[in-house]
Amino acid sequence: MAAIFEAFRFKQKATFMHSLDPRTTFFMAVSFSIIGMLFLQIIPLLLVFISMAPFILLARSTRQWFKSLQGLAILAGFILIINSFFISFSFAISTVLRLVVLMTAFSLFFLTVHPDDFALALIKMHIPYEFAFAFSMAVRYVPTIATETETIRDAQMSRGLELERGNILQKVRNYIPILIPIIVSSIRRALQVAESLESRAFGSTAKRTSLYDLSLRKRDYAMLLVTTFALIFALYVAFVVRIQFPFLLPDWFFWGLPF
Amino acid sequence: MILFKDVGFEYEPGQPVLQNINLELEPGQVVGLMGENGAGKTTLVKHINGLLKPTTGAVYVNNIDTRDTSTAQLAKTVGFVFQNADHQLFADTLQTEVAFGLRNLGFSKEEVDNRVAQYLELFELTRYGGQSPFLLSGGERKRLALASVFCVEPKVLILDEPTQAQDALQKDKLLNFIDSFRDPEHILLLVTHDVEFAIRAVDRLIILSNGQLIADGSPHQILSTPLLLDRARLLPPQLTQFAHLMAKQFPQFPTNVTTLDETVEAVNQLLRGRR
Repeated sequence: MAAIFEAFRFKQKATFMHSLDPRTTFFMAVSFSIIGMLFLQIIPLLLVFISMAPFILLARSTRQWFKSLQGLAILAGFILIINSFFISFSFAISTVLRLVVLMTAFSLFFLTVHPDDFALALIKMHIPYEFAFAFSMAVRYVPTIATETETIRDAQMSRGLELERGNILQKVRNYIPILIPIIVSSIRRALQVAESLESRAFGSTAKRTSLYDLSLRKRDYAMLLVTTFALIFALYVAFVVRIQFPFLLPDWFFWGLPF
Repeated sequence: MILFKDVGFEYEPGQPVLQNINLELEPGQVVGLMGENGAGKTTLVKHINGLLKPTTGAVYVNNIDTRDTSTAQLAKTVGFVFQNADHQLFADTLQTEVAFGLRNLGFSKEEVDNRVAQYLELFELTRYGGQSPFLLSGGERKRLALASVFCVEPKVLILDEPTQAQDALQKDKLLNFIDSFRDPEHILLLVTHDVEFAIRAVDRLIILSNGQLIADGSPHQILSTPLLLDRARLLPPQLTQFAHLMAKQFPQFPTNVTTLDETVEAVNQLLRGRR
């Protein structure tokens, strides 16, 4: 269960992707997500996915990314079964692909952007400091909560809890002894953090200055440009070509399994 | 009996956390496990109830290889109280909290009720019985966590930092409980940084440093060996420190004392000699 968090655990590495400005990476993640949401056909989604693969490789984070996909396996399984049952197998596959695309887009972001840089980027984008800080704190605590989840699971298993026991309903209920301690200890921690922030005069000055500043470099402009083109192209295909001139699109675009 | 045979363990390939652990724990012992932060103490004890399986070698609990069984199955034999009580409390009342382990392990309803009452009483929590565990103070939550594991009456009990956030009175009570566990049937393993507590509680002390066992023996012997303590980043017991100070003034003063009785005896000897 905790494997899914692996995708969002930042690790400092000296790679091209890590060296990009957080705003660039954020724009890329959002663009890829939008593109992923535009299509619901297998081949276009596969193409989106394939075009993202080089960035995962560039970030040298393939293993972490793959681990998170494994964490997603149960959810993907559910989607696959339910959709095949109610709609079609083809639709089920494309829905799973879309999920993978969204997940990949955001894991690319979280794997390569340090939470502090992300807060800085938000402030640069004129988001009030309190919000930016709250967001970066939330991101910052994901790995902490992931580790805690593992400890809690260990503690409950030591008391004889068997997660795999019983039917589906029972299996869901088996997670209650894990979920409640996570929630309770997260709330406790939130209160502690709030107190500790206030005791260190959080919010005492209206205008904060920061020690480091962000700046866009050539490589950022290059990536922004490429991503913008990709986004415009996808929007054009989705809203203009697909609706007004669908006959212009090749057959493989709409390819799906007959069931 | 617990047997570690050439156990090695790594979370990430190529980064061993435990190396060449050979260890035998016999019933009738209260064993202390100490070592610096990150030495691998928790990793080691997690092997005993199968939460972790060795990368190399094997761990046997009552002749059962932990690789062939599940943590839930071992839970009947091995009780494990985690460091932070908040990591295991979840129920709406203290009673259901204590009953959780018992129900998981298939005890009869009558037996569950009996033991819940018995163990809430033992840990002085009876008056909170129907309350939510989350309304308890930190120390009380810790006691509840202990009660909810002890109630299963496991033959092997692992306590990870049990004295944390406990006042002197509660430490004394814990000590009494540990003493009641010191019998030919039980093994109690205590993971701790609390030297003063260890010297009072344990019969045998194991020192883990950087993933390897560096000492195994009587607490008296180990805690008065400065070199070992230094490697495990532990301060000697205060009385041993006192003895070293005394020895500077009076070279005949023994430096290997750890308990109050020994110190009194040494001081008496010194006084007698000077009279």
